[in-house]
Amino acid sequence: MNERQVHKFVGRYLDATDSRIIEKSPAHYIAKLSPHADRDLTNRPFYWSFVERTGAEPETMTMLLITDKKKYETQTEEANSPAAGPTAQGGIGAAADAAIGRSMGFVHGTLNPTGRMPREELHFGSRKLEQLFASAKLGGSYVCLFQEPERKSAHPLQSTAYTAWLGLNMKVEFACDMKREEFHSLGISLATGQCVEGFHDSLSTLRMTPRLPPNVHTAKNAITFNKAATIGEQALERKLKAYDYAWAQGASKRLEEELATVQHYYEPLIAAAEDDEIRAAMQEQFERRQAEIRWQYEPRVTVSAINCGIFYLAGIG
Amino acid sequence: MTQTSNDRKGDQPSSIVARKLNNHVDIHFDRTWFNELQQRLDRNGPWDDWTMYQLAVEAEQSKLIGSFDDLQCMRTLPTLEPMPHQISTARKVLHEMSGRAILADEVGLGKTIEAGLILKEYMMRGLVSRVLILVPASLVLQWVRELNQKFGIPAIAQKKEHSWQNEVVVASIDTAKRDPHRDILLNHDYDMLIIDEAHKLKNKKTTNYQFVNQLRKKYCLLLTATPVQNDLDELYNLITLLKPGQLGGQSDFAANFVVDKRVPKNEDRLQEALSSVMVRNRRGDGGIQFTKRIVKNIPLPLSTEEQALYDAVTGFVRDRYNESNGDWTSMLALVTLQREVCSSRDAVFVTLVNLFKKTAEDSPLRAKIWELVEFIRNIQANTKAEKTMELIREMDDKVIIFTEYRATQEYLLNYFRSHNLIAVPYRGGMNRGKKDWMMDLFRGRAQVLIATEAGGEGINLQFCHHIINFDLPWNPMRVEQRIGRVHRLGQQNDVKIYNLCTLGTIEEHIVSLLHEKINLFELVIGGLDHILERFEKEDTLEQRLSKAMLEAGDSTDLRKRISDLGDQLSHLRTQVAEEDPIPETPIGAILDAVGQTVEVRP
Repeated sequence: MNERQVHKFVGRYLDATDSRIIEKSPAHYIAKLSPHADRDLTNRPFYWSFVERTGAEPETMTMLLITDKKKYETQTEEANSPAAGPTAQGGIGAAADAAIGRSMGFVHGTLNPTGRMPREELHFGSRKLEQLFASAKLGGSYVCLFQEPERKSAHPLQSTAYTAWLGLNMKVEFACDMKREEFHSLGISLATGQCVEGFHDSLSTLRMTPRLPPNVHTAKNAITFNKAATIGEQALERKLKAYDYAWAQGASKRLEEELATVQHYYEPLIAAAEDDEIRAAMQEQFERRQAEIRWQYEPRVTVSAINCGIFYLAGIG
Repeated sequence: MTQTSNDRKGDQPSSIVARKLNNHVDIHFDRTWFNELQQRLDRNGPWDDWTMYQLAVEAEQSKLIGSFDDLQCMRTLPTLEPMPHQISTARKVLHEMSGRAILADEVGLGKTIEAGLILKEYMMRGLVSRVLILVPASLVLQWVRELNQKFGIPAIAQKKEHSWQNEVVVASIDTAKRDPHRDILLNHDYDMLIIDEAHKLKNKKTTNYQFVNQLRKKYCLLLTATPVQNDLDELYNLITLLKPGQLGGQSDFAANFVVDKRVPKNEDRLQEALSSVMVRNRRGDGGIQFTKRIVKNIPLPLSTEEQALYDAVTGFVRDRYNESNGDWTSMLALVTLQREVCSSRDAVFVTLVNLFKKTAEDSPLRAKIWELVEFIRNIQANTKAEKTMELIREMDDKVIIFTEYRATQEYLLNYFRSHNLIAVPYRGGMNRGKKDWMMDLFRGRAQVLIATEAGGEGINLQFCHHIINFDLPWNPMRVEQRIGRVHRLGQQNDVKIYNLCTLGTIEEHIVSLLHEKINLFELVIGGLDHILERFEKEDTLEQRLSKAMLEAGDSTDLRKRISDLGDQLSHLRTQVAEEDPIPETPIGAILDAVGQTVEVRP
């Protein structure tokens, strides 16, 4: 994600969580977080459990979210170039950070209790953006949505038939001592059992709503969710079977070599052990080391869902 | 929806279905999602937001790891600029050594950066989440800070028992191996174990070695600048800790590779075996382009009162030496006195008081010591301190003042304070937190740092480029250490070194010896230890200087003796400079072949 993509992402996140944007530029947002966003982003579990227990009106935080540090700093420099004040302020702030850092080990910028607005830099890989990602995942795991019909074709007496689809966004991990990943999005029609790839992309071109639109009826499902899930998994598995597995072969070879090496090392030691105690200790070491090697090298393919949902789409698919 | 924690062995959730995909690999379907979806369908909700759903997919897609062997971590570390050898080392460890390696770069080439890159890469790929980092106690906070600030890795310093629950913990090995911590750690599976200063693990019989051996770990990095110090067995033990059997059994190793404990054989094979588990980068010989060192000696005539004290102390010391019939070893305390008198009256005073206390009550010495104290009483001003103040005002920039003596440090702090100059102290006895605090103050508000200690890790003062040697240690390595705090990688400016030098005293001789004969202050880094190694076969330079000072009849004799020492040193210096730079021992040659030569530029 580059700065522009991050900026767009953050804007949509703030919107989706009903946070109030107070100020924005192409390089930053100042936003009063909604309770939802505050819970997920501000690391204040004690505060929120207090609010829950007492029923107090929550006071959410206002944050400065910088999505393009360079641009932001040029902007602010230009804005307050005549004033020399902020640097001294920063010096004291930095000293305070350092002082807290000394007793706490390390403290992230937001905990500085000087009453300034928490400032977060959101570049790809930064911890706060990671939190946004996690929050999005938590709040966007399972959906049930209907396609919004196109107005023109809606005749008052005509009812459009909708089909239910199981949408599955999957992450496939190919791992040994190294790893790579793939994204697969599948849609399985619950009416016909047909399975399509690139499902999420095709959804993104449609407008979706959580409520059943007027003049729409849903076709009866012909297959169960369980069956649909199995169809999806099997389709993916067929596809993955056709891949090149030289990497796994290589990993297995390394695994065997490493196992042979430790065997060559430990077996004479165990045989020559002076007493049972030493022998048992050696045996234990040997087994631990073998387990470590398997843990490190064993090739595996893992499929897990990023998120999934039921989508009612126009037509019989 | 579970994270990809299913890498960890032993805790696979039951909703995972596994079957054979082909001859090489199984496929695991994590079906946690299905159960959850079914529940929400049964209860008709709650359903999540469509935008969040899309954002979640975008987030995951952006984090996707597209290939086995690129370096992903760089795109998340916009402010880090690793040097090329650090990147190539990280790649090698990741792709050729499968994450178990000894990082054996020479000091100052950034082993921590290399380890950080490797760790970050594994974390981004989801191959590592639980990490244990064991380092000497004095380095714990520095590691925590570097991992957090440079790598965005949320490492914490181990403080209490429950700290071990965190994902990335930095701790001292001495704490970790003790109860109750030991059992806690042995019951964990660590995706990665990193050990700094790993040469402390070269002896198999130590509890440290055995403890590390017992820890369960997937990937493992051992960091040390000196994988071999005395004995090839040390290297064997270190590698066995990392990968038992890599060099065969102990007897195989002895038979295949060892002639004598310091002399290897079958060098090619040994080197090949080493290069599969160890990376060692060395500084280039020609390419070290540090900024310049500009040395200025500042000769200072003593005031009449100070000169009187100096002469009195010199007389006192020489009388005691003559009484002792030339037994100079018992006289070293007196040498200190002679040196302190060049620093400040406060330093002399403290030593005299201690000496007074140790002397028997009826000894005639007590009266003599008292006489010296009278000389001290007469001194009203400190010539060096006044000059120092003048220098500081002139340079109007951050400056470090080094002194050998605690009392001088205290005196200077008070003296500066009374002249409205903010100075902070730094000394060896301070605990870690206080040292860090002093460093932060110096970095921030204080113009002056007054230090009695230059050794020890973690004081990196590249932001400052003025040093005042208020007095000089007689051990050249300690002088080099002082300068090295400032004149190191990352220093942008030429470093200005001021040596205060009182005329007509032993100090004058020392400054001329260190400066003119050894050219210490301008020596290429690393050259000094070679010279001293040869010079100090029996006695150290410090001892020989003391001897010269005590035995010399008068100042002409002293000048000659010191000048002889100087000639020997400068002779060795030429010798060292002429030799070609091939590493001296066969072990060294092999180690040096495992890696590349790095031309370091600040």
